[in-house]
Amino acid sequence: MTYWTLNALFLAVAVVLAIGARVARRSPRLLPLAVTVLVLFVVSAVFDNVMIAIGLVGYNRDLISGAFLGIAPLEDFAYVFGAVLLLPALWYLLPARTTSRTPAAREERR
Amino acid sequence: MGILYLLGLLVALTGMVMLDRRFRLFFWQDARRAAIVLVVGVLFFLAWDVSGITAGIFFRGETSFMTGILVATELPLEEVFFLTLLCYLTMNLFEAVARMLAHARPMSGGNAGAGGAARGGVSSGDESSGGVSSGGVTSTGPRPGRRP
Repeated sequence: MTYWTLNALFLAVAVVLAIGARVARRSPRLLPLAVTVLVLFVVSAVFDNVMIAIGLVGYNRDLISGAFLGIAPLEDFAYVFGAVLLLPALWYLLPARTTSRTPAAREERR
Repeated sequence: MGILYLLGLLVALTGMVMLDRRFRLFFWQDARRAAIVLVVGVLFFLAWDVSGITAGIFFRGETSFMTGILVATELPLEEVFFLTLLCYLTMNLFEAVARMLAHARPMSGGNAGAGGAARGGVSSGDESSGGVSSGGVTSTGPRPGRRP
């Protein structure tokens, strides 16, 4: 199994949840998701390159595509997309805390 | 030396908690939901990691920056904290971005002033953005009194 195959499996789970949340809750909104992906992508590009440079993680060259961003395999960035697809979707799918529905708490939450 | 990476992750995580507390982004917005999202998220990425390690795609590097404590084969303790940081950062960032965009929108529409003027500066922006941010959950207008 290549790194891309592995990513496809886990991203599929995240995509299903993201679509589920969009259909059931009409949230999360797409623009904030896109901006979040963009910021996380830049942050991970830096962080991942440092992590690999100092030898925290190694890769089997036969199972990665060979596309790199610096010295980070492009496949690593699937984690960013996985996180942004899965986590906010999960957040909206879970029922909100009922006690926070008072006007004061609603103001505070923003 | 061996504790350096773990220490760095803990410092970053502390920063996440501080931002969360200051702006009520995640746990300080809804602790129960945040706990579930964080635990499920970390378990999801741990499964991703373990699958990759089992398939022989990636492995723990030889470095003196890690403690050497493993929670599973080739899975260092530090990875659990890294994944926690990734999930926490994602949710803090998403909530912050969503809020900023929701506040920016009514300003460009020019309707931030009138309705909220009597309720003070802070809530004027809040009310107009409320229609945007809660629009997905409740279809009725942002009238606090009508909450069930």
